[in-house]
Order: sequence, then C-alpha cells, then structure tokens
Amino acid sequence: MKGRKNSFYRVLNLHIPLIILLIFLLFPFYWTFVTSIKPERELYGSVVTYWPRQTTFKAYKDLFFDYNFLKPMGNSLLVALLTTSLTLSVASLASYSFSRFRFRGRRAFMILFLTNNMFPTVLLLIPLYAIMRNLGILYTPTALVLSYTTFTIPFSVWLLNGYLSDLPLSLEEAAMVDGANRPQAFIRIILPVLIPCLIATGVYIFMTSWNEYTFAVMFTNEESRTIPVALKNLIGQLGVQWDLLTAGGIITIIPVCVMFFFAQRRLVEGLTAGAVKG
Amino acid sequence: MKKVTVFFLVIALCLMMSVGCKKKDDTSSGATNTPIDITHWYWADNPDYSAKMQQIVKDFNENNDQNIKVTAQEYPWDGGGYSETLFTAAMGGGGPDTAAWKLTSTPLFKANNLLANLDGYINDWTDKEDIEENLYNVMRNASGTDNIYVMPWNTQVLYVYYRPSMFKAVNIAVPTTYDEFLEACRKLTRDTDKNGKTDVYGFGMRGAKGGQEPWGSFIYGRGGDFTNFSTPQAIAGMQDFINLYKNGYVPPTAPTDGFNEIIANFKSGKTAMTIHHIGSSSGMVEALGEDVDAFPFPKGTSQWTSMGDTENVIFEACDNKDAAFEWVAYLATGKGQEEWCKTTGNVPVSKRVQAMPEFQNNKFMKVSIQGAPSAGIFPILDTTTEWINTIWPNTTAAALAGQKTAEQAMADLQKGLYGS
Repeated sequence: MKGRKNSFYRVLNLHIPLIILLIFLLFPFYWTFVTSIKPERELYGSVVTYWPRQTTFKAYKDLFFDYNFLKPMGNSLLVALLTTSLTLSVASLASYSFSRFRFRGRRAFMILFLTNNMFPTVLLLIPLYAIMRNLGILYTPTALVLSYTTFTIPFSVWLLNGYLSDLPLSLEEAAMVDGANRPQAFIRIILPVLIPCLIATGVYIFMTSWNEYTFAVMFTNEESRTIPVALKNLIGQLGVQWDLLTAGGIITIIPVCVMFFFAQRRLVEGLTAGAVKG
Repeated sequence: MKKVTVFFLVIALCLMMSVGCKKKDDTSSGATNTPIDITHWYWADNPDYSAKMQQIVKDFNENNDQNIKVTAQEYPWDGGGYSETLFTAAMGGGGPDTAAWKLTSTPLFKANNLLANLDGYINDWTDKEDIEENLYNVMRNASGTDNIYVMPWNTQVLYVYYRPSMFKAVNIAVPTTYDEFLEACRKLTRDTDKNGKTDVYGFGMRGAKGGQEPWGSFIYGRGGDFTNFSTPQAIAGMQDFINLYKNGYVPPTAPTDGFNEIIANFKSGKTAMTIHHIGSSSGMVEALGEDVDAFPFPKGTSQWTSMGDTENVIFEACDNKDAAFEWVAYLATGKGQEEWCKTTGNVPVSKRVQAMPEFQNNKFMKVSIQGAPSAGIFPILDTTTEWINTIWPNTTAAALAGQKTAEQAMADLQKGLYGS
C-alpha cells in the first residue's frame, strides 16, 4: 500500500512535470517537422491540423533541387570545421601557456580576452568588414572563420584554462624527467587528458559558428552563404516560405543532433571538468 | 626583452596601417571590350522572385550594348535589417554599386553621403517622362532635399475595395467625390435582418497600427496635409474619421482592428468597403468571386493615398555610375520593369508598362495605376517610427472613444511627429 502511494507521488511530482517539460521543449521541433511535410493547401488553410491529412516531402525536394540548399550546407560545414580546428589549436596552446607559465602581462591578457566578449558584435561589424575587405578575403569562408575566432578563442581559452589549471604539474614533470621535452609532454601527456574538455569546447565552437547570422550576412555573398542566411532569405517582406523554412530548419538541426549523440558523454565530462577544485 | 617587444609592436603597427591604407582596387575600365561590372543587392519575398531577378539580370547582361555585367546578390529582408546590412557594408567601404531600396532609409544614407545624386542622369534620360512626376516628388521629399537620390521601381497603392452587390442593394453608384464616399458609408450601414442591430457597416476602419495610411486620405479629403496637423482642414478630416465611428458606420471594434480584422470583416460581408492595396486582391477574389471591385479613394478638397514603395539606388562609391544608371533605368522602364511587376503583382512605375494589356485587364491593377498620381508617403523623420507604432494608434483610439476632441488629437499628433 505504502509502495503504491510512493509510486503515485513519484508520478505526480516527477513524471508528470517531466512530461509537461518535455512537451514544452519538443513541441516546437514537432511543429517544425509537421509544417515541413504539410501540403501547401493545408499549410495555408484556415483549419489548423496537428498532423497532416496528407503528407508530402515536396518542401525537402524543392529545398535541395530548386533552392540549392546543399551549397549553404557545405559552406556552413566548412566554416564550422575550420573555426573549430583553428580555435581549438590556438586556444589549447594559449590556455596551456596561461596555466603553466607566469609571465608579465598574463593577467592583463586574460582580462583582455574576457573584455573582448563583452562588446556587442554589431559594434565590431563595420571595422571587421573594412579589415576583411582590405585583406581581400571578404565574401570568402576565411572572413567568417577569422571573425568567429575573435569571440570563440577568448571563450575557449578561459574554458580550457580552468581545466588545465586543475591538472597537476607533476604529469608533465614526470614526462620531462623521463626525457620528453615541453612540446612532447604537451602532445603525449596533456592533450590525451584534455580530450573531454576539447570535445566540449569544440561542440560549443561548432554550434556557435553553425548558427551565427550577424557576421554571416555581412561577410558572405551568394557563393559563400551559410545556412542561417540562406534560411533567413525565405522570410520576405510580405510573406514567409513556411514549408521551405521549416524543412531547412529540420535539415539544419540534424548534424547538431548527430554530433550531440556521439559527444554527449564526453561533453558533460568536459563541461563539468575544472568546475570543482580538490 | 623590451627591444624585442617594441620591435614586434612596430611590425604589427606597420602591418595594420598597410592593411588599413591599402588602396581600393581600381575596378573601373574604360575599355569597351572589358566588361563593366556592376554589383546589385536586392531582397526577394520568395524563391520565385529570386529566380525572376536572376533572369532579369541575365537578360540585361546578354542584351545591353555597353558590355555591362550585373551580378545580383540576394540579401535577406530580415524585417528591415536589409537596410542595416547595406549601411554597414557601405560604411565599411565595400557596399554594392546599386541596391534595391526603401525610401525610409534615404535620410540616413544621404546624411552619410553614401548615395549618388541622380538629378543629372534623370534630366538627360530619354525615359524621364515615362514615370509620373508625382513619383519624382516623392523621391525628393524622402531625401529632404530638392534632389533625387532614389530611382522609382514599383509601388503598391492603397485604394478602396467595395462589394458591388451591396452598392446595388442600396442603389448607389461608386463615389467620385469625398463627400459621396462619406455618404456611401452612411447608406451602406444597414440592419439587413431587421433585428434592430446593424449587421453591415459601410466602412471597415483600421484603427490599430498601420491605420494611419487610410486615415491620411481623410485628412487630405478636407484639404489638410502632413506638414501641419493643426490646420482647420486637417482637423475637419479627423472629425470625419471620428464621426464615422461615432455614427456607427464602422464596426465597434474599429479602434483595435488591424490588417487581419479589416480584411476578414470585408470578406465575411460585415463591411461594404475597406482600404488596402493589390496585395490582398487574390484573397478577396478567392473569397468573394466577382462580388468585389475597387475604386481610388475619391478626391475632396485634395486627394492623397498611401504608397508602399520599392526603389533602387546608386551608391556614391560606384566607379561606373553611367553603367549603374543603365541598369536601374532598365529596371524602372525597360524589360526589367515588365518582368518584375508581372511576377510580383506590384504596380509598375513606367506609364508604358502600365498601359500594357496584362496590367490594364486587371481591375485592381488598373485602380492602383489610377491612384498613383495622388500616392505618397508620410514624412520620414526620426520620430516617424514611434509616431506610426504608438502615437497614432493611441491618439486615434482616444479620439474615437470620445476622450479627445479632433482638435486635441491633431495637436497631439502634431507634437508627436514634429515636436511642437
């Protein structure tokens, strides 16, 4: 009897709120998907249907064959991968220096990195645009990669620095006693330990550059458009292409979901690492 | 160590200066066999419009005899963010040569000397007379100067939709004067099922945001204008507007009715007339078939109707303004004008294109064209956005509710827009 009462309270206090929360979280995704497979007549009809009377994948076909969505997808992937690689390379080396060496200006540099992220991105738009133009890299993926690294590197340095500071110095010291020099100690000892944190940081960088719009609309043209800009093009002044927009939205979240699926365990490890001392 | 630091700082400084001062590549070319490149930015409401623009560009590139090669780049409308993107690019020194445009952006770009003055080009242009003089005046007013910086492209003109069957039922003709229009509002307001309650209202008034556009026609109908809302004529126009509500010739929900409500009321037969542009015509025909027609807002002491606009501009930084003008002229009066307006259903600015059977055979397009000479926009000031979004709806709602007289309301509107 007591057990039955306990399970009742468990359902009432845990399961029902959890289901409500899940519905709240998942409904937008569900609605986006349902909208993407509705025929046009049903989509713009006066009667709201929660599941299409007739399903169609025309929006997906149009998206890839007429709207050439593969191109912005490829551009987004290229930019996100390059940004992630560049940021992780620079940030892991920089954070290693910050955590292992005491040099003049160290603290000032760390604070400078933080203040960079405090500026609204729109403030940086015109100067960055002028710089990219003069460098001759405007409307190329390089322009986007460089502009994204202006805010992903500082954040990543701080994130990795927290983790590296927790790693005992004795790890590299032991390697160096065994004959390794500093770079060897970093590559063979520190990097493998750092992998969960690199994955967590990498996912953050990838998603940031995958979804970014403000810089993307400025630094790309028809050839180098990324997904957020291509999708925004479907929202016109007098109308919205809901079918294409929602189909594009579904396609866009697939790579992120797949990435999360594989990186989930490491992601949690990485994000919580460095949070607790001792 | 210090020397090394200073050395690297000097190198870094030199590099930054060389990047900052790097001369802009000279892309201009006078050689006839070298293509003259023009970059054009535009936004499109859907993929069909994008494809049409690319087709227009292709046709222009293949058929112009000056070897001009236009590259059209589509940018998102982004709720008006398009103009901000354009501004950032132009300020950063890398904007396009020409761009699709909204008049409301003109003062900002003009103040930063980003737009090319088109007076010389338009005066020497053989097709100058093909565009209504009123449109040039609208372009001048938008810049706040006597110069034209904006090339007309296409418009959406507000007119009155009406139900011919209801006009027939009360035995009245289409109003040709402002007074006849007010009289029609009265006569069309009826209790058709004789239950003591009005079930058809003469006019679908828009009292919520956006309602300032049809409202402006009443102000001009009595001889007022937008330079001063406190004149007796403007106040009389406002009084007419209030009277329509007070006398019950418009639905009681009018103070809060927006676009969706006025259109729904008209389609359902709750109102006999309402004001909107050609954009809603296909929906009207779908709902009412042949029982919907239109007429331009009639002239009273004066005449005005609101105009939605899309234009093109040439940027001051453009190296080949002559070629750029050829392109925007092609869009304004050439084949580009025909093709774009046929696809989008917008009203052409070229009189030649307006006279084409495709446009003349469309009754709504025809009425739009008839209304074009009296079409205009509200003054573009720093205060305009807030005035449209907040001040006009609130003040008008108070006036309709009887909390303010027409005179008080117009004084508030004057203060809200002009500060005094």
